[in-house]
Amino acid sequence: MNSVGEACTDLKREYDQCFNRWFAEKFLKGDRSGDPCTETFRKYQRCVQKAIKEKDIPIDGVEFMGPNKDNST
Amino acid sequence: MKIWTSEHVFNHPWETVTKAAMQKYPNPMNPNVIGVDVLDRGIDKQGRLHSRRLLGTEWGLPSIVKSIIGNARTYTYVQEHSVVDPKEKTFELQSTNITFTNMVSVDEKLTYKPHPEDKEKTILTQEAIISVKGVSLNSYLEGVMAYKGSITNKLNIFASEGLFYT
Repeated sequence: MNSVGEACTDLKREYDQCFNRWFAEKFLKGDRSGDPCTETFRKYQRCVQKAIKEKDIPIDGVEFMGPNKDNST
Repeated sequence: MKIWTSEHVFNHPWETVTKAAMQKYPNPMNPNVIGVDVLDRGIDKQGRLHSRRLLGTEWGLPSIVKSIIGNARTYTYVQEHSVVDPKEKTFELQSTNITFTNMVSVDEKLTYKPHPEDKEKTILTQEAIISVKGVSLNSYLEGVMAYKGSITNKLNIFASEGLFYT
């Protein structure tokens, strides 16, 4: 599966692999230890945000998780 | 406005179905989704995983609408918010189109839960609300979209089941 931004597909695949492994082997099994994918996600996101601006995609930019968001690892 | 609902039972436990559903794309049965990106992801204080995703799809409008607006502009974007609760064993997704919003609104909600009568099975309930803006072609277009929506969702279901056989 490709990214919506053509240049981001490799970064996306790298992140997806990391996420799918963590999701299946840790998160779903109740393991609350840290998310190992934050660095790959950051790189991937920089690319995606740029593509969204370039393509003028009307993303709702509201922080949907609000002040209760807990990303601590 | 048309509301379309359906239910489907998978012969697999909730964790297996959730893993497969999270990776649903690519999906040879639904080649219309051609781009998927995660915009944001995080775990809330209740331990639930929230994800916000952007989907790019070629399909999204019935051909009569495409012929009105021109074939070049049929790439549609959908924004999806999902929540996985590993304690309650629920996976809920909500999506809405963010382009062509002045013409049509397609809101979908999917919920995956363990089957209440058999923990080795999973039940998926889907609901789609489709509204076409404008006056004259309303019911016809909504009917076409709902019909196509039901086909696509059936294909998605078969493909999701198919993932277990690869």
